[in-house]
Amino acid sequence: MGAAAALDYDAELMLRVKDGDGESFALLLKKHRSAVIHFLYRMVQNRAIAEELAQDVFLRVYRSRNTYEPTAKFTTWLFRIAAHLALNSLRDGRNEWKQEHLDDTSEDTPNRQLPDRSPSVEYRMVSEVKLEEVRQAVAALPDKQRAAVLMHKYEELEYSQIASVLNCSESAVKSLLFRAYETLRARLAHMA
Amino acid sequence: MKCPIKTQENADVLLAYSARKLDPEITAVLAKHMEMCTECAAFHKGQQAVWAALDAWEALPVSEDFDQRLYFRIDRERHASWWSKVAQVFLPSRLSFFGRTSQAGMPLPLLATVCIIVVAGFVLEYPGRVNPLDPAPQARIDKIEADQVERTLEDLEMLREFNLVSSAEGKPSASM
Repeated sequence: MGAAAALDYDAELMLRVKDGDGESFALLLKKHRSAVIHFLYRMVQNRAIAEELAQDVFLRVYRSRNTYEPTAKFTTWLFRIAAHLALNSLRDGRNEWKQEHLDDTSEDTPNRQLPDRSPSVEYRMVSEVKLEEVRQAVAALPDKQRAAVLMHKYEELEYSQIASVLNCSESAVKSLLFRAYETLRARLAHMA
Repeated sequence: MKCPIKTQENADVLLAYSARKLDPEITAVLAKHMEMCTECAAFHKGQQAVWAALDAWEALPVSEDFDQRLYFRIDRERHASWWSKVAQVFLPSRLSFFGRTSQAGMPLPLLATVCIIVVAGFVLEYPGRVNPLDPAPQARIDKIEADQVERTLEDLEMLREFNLVSSAEGKPSASM
C-alpha cells in the first residue's frame, strides 16, 4: 500500500509538472536525483559523466512533461530514460579514457568516503583494493547485465520494472541476472 | 522440492532467498533443502558475499551545483529561439561532427545545413525570384507606374553625378 501510494504521488507530481507546476518538478528532482546519479555512476564509473547523463535524464523528463501519461510507474519510466542514456554512452565509448582510478588525484575525483571502522593505513588499503575489485567486476559485466544488476541490487526494482526498463521479457531479466550474479560470485566469492 | 540450482528458471528463488525477500514458509523450505544440497548452499554463501561486496561500494555525493546547472540548461532551452528549435527537430543534439555540440547547441556545419534547407525551401516557394542558372535576368515590366519611372530616372541622374554608374549602365532593376 505504501509503495502504491508512493507511485501515485510521483505520478501525481509529474502530472502537476505537466500543468506547469515547477515546484513539483523540483520535488521529483530532489527525491530521485541521487538514485539516478548513483545508478549512472555505477554504470559508467565516472562521476562527471554520470552527472552529465543525470542532467540529460531530468532534462528529458522536463521536455516530456506535455505528453506525459502515467502508464507505468514513474521510477520505471525514469530509469528507462537513465538506462537508455547510460547504454548509449557506454556504446559510444565516451568513458573509455575517463574511467576513474583510485589513485587518481585530479580535482574531479572526490574524496572517497571509507567506512570509519579503523584508522589504520593497512585497513584502508585493503578496503580500497576490495572496492577496486568490486568496481572492476561490475565494469566487466556486459552492459545489459550490469544495468540489470544495478537496478536489482541498488534500486530494488521488480523484475517487471527491469524488464520494462530494458525492453525485454521478465524471463530475459531473470536470465540476465542469473548470468550476472554467476559471474560476480566467481569473481567476488573469495571476499566472504 | 526441486533443487532450484538445477533449474535455471527457479534460480531467482535462490536470489530472493539470499536477499531475504521470500515468504517465511518458502524460506523455511529452502533452508531445509540447503542442509542437504551442497550446491545450493554454496550458491547462497557466494551470493551473500556478492551482496556484501556490492554494499561496500558506496555512492559518491552529488555535486552541490547539480540542480543549479540543470535549471540553467532548462532555462536556456526554454528561451531558445524558434530557429534553434527548428534545428533541433532536424538535427538531434547527439549528432556532432566534432563529438560535442557548440555553445549554441549546434555545430556550425550543421547550422549551415539548416541554412541550405531553409534557402532551398524559399527557392521552391518563390521560383521566379531567384534562378542561379539564368544568365542576366531580363527585366519584365508588366505594370509600370509613372511616378516609379520618374523616381528611377532621378536616382540615375544622381548616380551619374557621383560617377557611380556600373558597367551595366544602370538598367532599371525589376525590384524598382
